[in-house]
Amino acid sequence: MADLQERKIKDAQMRATINQKLVETGERERLKELLRTRLIECGWRDQLKAQCKEIVQSKGLEHITVDDLVAEITPKGRALVPDNVKKELLQRIRTFLAQQSSM
Amino acid sequence: MSLHGCEHLTSLKAAYGIQPFYIIHSYFIACSSIEARRVKAKSCFCHTCRYRGLRVHACLSCVYFGCYNEQHIHNHAKTKKHNLSVDLSYGTVYCYACGTFVYDEELENVARKQQRAAAATLGIKRDFAPWEPGQDEIELLRRNPKRRKVSENSHIGLRGLINLGNTCFMNCILQSLTHTPILRDYFLSDQHHCHMTANPQQCLVCEMGRLFQEFYSGVRTPYIPYKLLHLVWTNARHLAGYEQQDAHEFLIAALDVLHRHCQGQGTNGLSYSSSHHCNCIIDQIFTGGLQSDVTCKQCNNVSTTIDPIWDISLDLGPGPGSTTAAIAAGSNLVLSAVGDPALPMAVGPALVDLPTASLSPASGFTNSPSNYEPTSLLDCLKRFTRPEHLGNSAKIKCSNCSSYQESTKQLTMKKSPIVACFHLKRFEHSTGYHKKISTYVSFPEELDMTPFMSSSRNNSNGYTNQIVRESATGLSCDNKYSLFAVVNHSGTIESGHYTCYIRSHKEQWFKCEDHVITRATAGEVLSSEGYLLFYHKQLLEYA
Repeated sequence: MADLQERKIKDAQMRATINQKLVETGERERLKELLRTRLIECGWRDQLKAQCKEIVQSKGLEHITVDDLVAEITPKGRALVPDNVKKELLQRIRTFLAQQSSM
Repeated sequence: MSLHGCEHLTSLKAAYGIQPFYIIHSYFIACSSIEARRVKAKSCFCHTCRYRGLRVHACLSCVYFGCYNEQHIHNHAKTKKHNLSVDLSYGTVYCYACGTFVYDEELENVARKQQRAAAATLGIKRDFAPWEPGQDEIELLRRNPKRRKVSENSHIGLRGLINLGNTCFMNCILQSLTHTPILRDYFLSDQHHCHMTANPQQCLVCEMGRLFQEFYSGVRTPYIPYKLLHLVWTNARHLAGYEQQDAHEFLIAALDVLHRHCQGQGTNGLSYSSSHHCNCIIDQIFTGGLQSDVTCKQCNNVSTTIDPIWDISLDLGPGPGSTTAAIAAGSNLVLSAVGDPALPMAVGPALVDLPTASLSPASGFTNSPSNYEPTSLLDCLKRFTRPEHLGNSAKIKCSNCSSYQESTKQLTMKKSPIVACFHLKRFEHSTGYHKKISTYVSFPEELDMTPFMSSSRNNSNGYTNQIVRESATGLSCDNKYSLFAVVNHSGTIESGHYTCYIRSHKEQWFKCEDHVITRATAGEVLSSEGYLLFYHKQLLEYA
């Protein structure tokens, strides 16, 4: 039990350190740009835009907030991200970490 | 919602100007300096629960960061009456009094400027932006209210072509070109501006544009491409007349004429070879760079040349100068086949064409699998890009050691074209005889050209860590292609017929035989003989 707790704390620290490195070096922005491009290329953006339009139209512009839309569209958006896009991003992060650790 | 914010933002701006937003945005959202990035990396977390991640907001009135998801920023806004905050992930401004995001033109301009500067410091090219209609386009859309929606099973873009007397060679090339996605986008978005101002009726590019209009108009009766045929006849005289022509020859001639007309050059203009540094749509789509490395055996000096190419012609049948090796390999197979009764079926095809092997002297190459007859497109490409010993009789003067030496030559792809056209050389014209090679050559629906790129020859790709490099090359999509058209020839070298398969959407294949179009399966396409294979890049770079 204590081990699990310890590991959770360690994981969180690790995540924070990695995130900090990604931001500091600007790599996070590069990854974001890559992701943006890939999502547009594979039609994800258009798909999501169409779904958002549908939701807004069905509820009426006056009765919907950004928060409603975010709550409804987020799970769909996550599910629609193609596997190869996720793989490519993961690969890029691995590459970045390998380079960082060899420095 | 307007572009002028809300009354709360207006009063905040009246009191403090845009300074608070400016500072927060430049340090925590779009950083242009190493120092700012360091600050951002350290301090972007919720001051209440220390959460780092998406949707942490910064108060625009005091130094407080709080997360949106857990409502810590909401609580702050309520207790302190600080109504406005900025989302640290996206730079959008939220008003808690109005309960919604507010959009202010002035702040958005600041944000855009800083984002551009930040991207520039990291070397990110932000060329890609989703299309937004401009004033002209809005007007155009308003005046033309009819919309055509392309669904998965719509037949738009499919149209038969009447055979004008042995013109199936032209019809199948036209079908392939009209279903080239990037060429279609170019013509349907009306990007061609005619350069043949003196005689626009003579412009083949304009005629192609009209062909695209005809194909995508929704009309389903067969189209008669007589004007196009006439234009090709007048511009490429060797194709004129009512005889059957070679589809590959027609393709190259058509690309050449299109390329020349793009630059406003008439029939007597410069030819392809002398004016390849061109940015016309044909060159943008079809031109690849073929690198040839000649290595001197004496001093290992490599001299490199790069030539532009529109297609890759691949030899079938046993490789040149490898007769002995091929026969040796063949007889090995025969021996093993005799020894093992289960094998003869498998080796059958490899032996059929052995007598056609040219009887030139054998080179020093043995063991190379490429001395066999290629049975797949990948085999052909491997053979195309393998180092070739130029032999004793073809000594080349080395520029480094200034002597005539034996050398090896290797071809690789320096630049992969957007559309890769492979020509399987099925028609053999040797002295004394003409013959069609009907060997089955398998080809894949998805093709990765990475192993045949010049960068694979040098074998580093910039990664120092080998494991990372290997997995990265396996994942890279830069050189991945999808099959979208196949031209087939049936019959003999003297008389035959051309048909083609085209892909209209993903996994939607159709067979085009002049005016008849029928649905086909991917399996049929992949098991067809294949004469010209058209592959389209899966991902395009925005250079």
